[in-house]
Amino acid sequence: MKISYQKQILKNGLTIIGEHNPYAQSFAAGYFVNTGSRDETPEVAGVSHFLEHMMFKGTPRRSAEDLNREFDEIGANNNAYTNEERTVYHATVVAERGPAMLDLLTDMMRPSLNQEDFDMEKQVILEEIAMYEDRPSFKVFESGNRAFFNQHPLGNSVLGTKTSISALSREQMKNYFDMRYAPNNMILAVSGNFDWEALIRQVTEQSLSWQAQESPRTFPTFYPTGGDKLEQDSKLKRAHVAFYAPGLSAQDDTRYAAFLLANCIGDSSGSRLYWALVDKGLVDSAYFYHDSNDGLGVYQGYLSAETEELERVKKIFIDTLLDVEASGLSNEEWERAQRKLATGLTLRAETPYGRLMALGPNYLYGNEYQSVDEVVEKIFATQLETAHTLLAEKPFSKLFSYTLKP
Amino acid sequence: MNQTLQFYETLTAILLVMTQSSTISFQTLPNGLQIVHEAMPWLPSLSFNFLFPYGSATDPVQLEGSASVLSDWLYRGTQKLSSRDFSDTLDSLGVRRGGGSGKEYSNFSGSLLASSFKETLSLYKDMFQTPLLSDEEFASARNLALQELASLADNPTQQLFETLSLRYFASAHGNSSYGTEKGLTNLSPDLLRQDFGSRLSPNGAILSVAGGISWQEVLDTAKSLFADWQGPSPHLPEIKLGKSQQEHIFEESMQTQIGLAYESVAPGQLGWYENAIAMSVLSGGMGARLFSEIREKRGLVYSVVAASRTLKDFGYTLAYAGTSPDRANETLTVLLAELRNIAKGISSEELERARTGLLSQLVMQGESSGAKASALARDIFLLGEPREMAKLKEELLALTLKQVNGFLSAQPDPEFTILSLGSKALDEVLV
Repeated sequence: MKISYQKQILKNGLTIIGEHNPYAQSFAAGYFVNTGSRDETPEVAGVSHFLEHMMFKGTPRRSAEDLNREFDEIGANNNAYTNEERTVYHATVVAERGPAMLDLLTDMMRPSLNQEDFDMEKQVILEEIAMYEDRPSFKVFESGNRAFFNQHPLGNSVLGTKTSISALSREQMKNYFDMRYAPNNMILAVSGNFDWEALIRQVTEQSLSWQAQESPRTFPTFYPTGGDKLEQDSKLKRAHVAFYAPGLSAQDDTRYAAFLLANCIGDSSGSRLYWALVDKGLVDSAYFYHDSNDGLGVYQGYLSAETEELERVKKIFIDTLLDVEASGLSNEEWERAQRKLATGLTLRAETPYGRLMALGPNYLYGNEYQSVDEVVEKIFATQLETAHTLLAEKPFSKLFSYTLKP
Repeated sequence: MNQTLQFYETLTAILLVMTQSSTISFQTLPNGLQIVHEAMPWLPSLSFNFLFPYGSATDPVQLEGSASVLSDWLYRGTQKLSSRDFSDTLDSLGVRRGGGSGKEYSNFSGSLLASSFKETLSLYKDMFQTPLLSDEEFASARNLALQELASLADNPTQQLFETLSLRYFASAHGNSSYGTEKGLTNLSPDLLRQDFGSRLSPNGAILSVAGGISWQEVLDTAKSLFADWQGPSPHLPEIKLGKSQQEHIFEESMQTQIGLAYESVAPGQLGWYENAIAMSVLSGGMGARLFSEIREKRGLVYSVVAASRTLKDFGYTLAYAGTSPDRANETLTVLLAELRNIAKGISSEELERARTGLLSQLVMQGESSGAKASALARDIFLLGEPREMAKLKEELLALTLKQVNGFLSAQPDPEFTILSLGSKALDEVLV
């Protein structure tokens, strides 16, 4: 018995992919909808995320209470998240409860969107916005994204604003739903222990009425912002800085080199920034990573420090990046990063849930399925020279920083 | 109900298979080091966890924060390897490190591919028995601790819970693992070296391992590395509670943070399972009472939660809600009403949902080596022995509604410690 992969596209356009693991006791499933804040117009800013909440508010077959109760009855771990480019609904159960869980999750994909629930949930969304207002380590990225992406929709806020959410109507949400939640604009990914044939039959039957339609996404030219921006807020006690540099898209085959490069520079331990800033206690946090999005990618970083020390530590942060850009990396640090990433992947793949969270996005980006072993192989096969080629384009000389301080 | 019964049978069968294919082994070496292991033979990876019974509750007076600084200092090199080389060597082996200091114990954990176990454990041996502990690294570790303490100022929720803990406990259990500015400033390399001698000991320490490795290999490796190690036995202070009270901290923020603490059941004591069921009914899944009453029906919050906290001979509950200042009084009123209302009992449907939830969690936790290893170590620390999955399952299945509701109605009215933080004080609710 070993791990196997299957895929089927239903008549309505819904793609189902599955990685079966005979050793798994649990079953994890998720609808990955290819929509997020980057697909919103300014009038409906925040609608993707608000809609994600509304999907839990009941269907023609079930009230919100029924949905929540039934997930609890089967002992499910279930949740959802929204980011700039996808909205994901997922659940994990003991394998035996797979069909019941799939019935619930699939039912949720055609929600009631009642006015009364919409009005109530709006309050919850406004509370969520207020909660993040109190978290500068989050807020600095909200403001930083908008500035760095410079009109490109990847800079859109996931939460929206108090104003945009307050003004949003149920009809606007319904229109957005109709446009974006077509079966050909989402996938169902499953992982762990399941019966593939039965699963296909069940979902086919349950999604008979779903209609395929065009759900286009725009890819405007990206003109990244450079330089530094500053925002002051008297409520703050410390300085928070978000850093950005142009990177590689999720469709770019050399992106593994960017992941490894960023890991050498800014992993939470043993990286260049760790030794330059965290190890010495000059900051409470400093990190740097690479994020691949649909059509374009970005390096991102963060530091938080005492306001009096800000200029000094910011300079160390930037100099660390420029030093790598100018002089490259050593073979030893490259190999350590390869080992770290590979072990991390293997550990996350221990559970069907961990595996699901890698399978879904990878497929949405149009990439071929890869087993954990294949990804690990790819990581070890990635040459340091590839990173040095990326550095030759001087991405960190185009660094942008957004500072939030008292 | 028939369906539910059938499901329990399946769960029972799964748990039985897991129990058979992955038995727990447990042994205490003559020097006091307790070793516990659970095999997950299908995994290429494993996780281990060293637990030492020292934490912020055992920080010397005037040296608050010493446990955290000591834990960090230990990672900064051995007598054979500099801080940098030690870290690089672990990275080369692909060891993902974790851990930190809590109230009563500190963890040093690692996750890695099973083939590197022996080499990794021998590096940890050097860290515990012959660490570098240089003055220079002490200065860096303390600076980092001061930075982390200062960062709380921009994190209102964390700030709330650190202060709530101080109000709730009258003993050193209220200490924050972040320490205090004064405590951290008072620390010196010599003071912390003394601390090291009394705190890092095999006596009372636990090594747990879960994953793709056999018990024999774990035991042989641990014996060859740690059997000669000797050290003093640990001492944990007695728990004392503060007076039930309500307090507000003024802070310019968008939301008001509300935190509550009150006593519940100590680990392993009578009512332990009944309490676990009650907590699940209150705050288990999305259908649980707090989420349903406060968020779903009233839209008062984004986040509301209640969770059990355990110390060696003491259990308590922490509850949290974050809301806008003008809705804070209503949120607190509903939250208190729900927490008190549980004494009136739960329905048989709620019992079944909670039972299913807890049993499912056990199965899912059983799939992750990291979750398994830390649960094993925690069980040994709190209960003195591992919890066999079969016994756990049996006890959960045996619970009747009458038992749970009998337990709940016999509980005294909770004595709350309430703390809020935000731009507007809340009405007094404790009379």
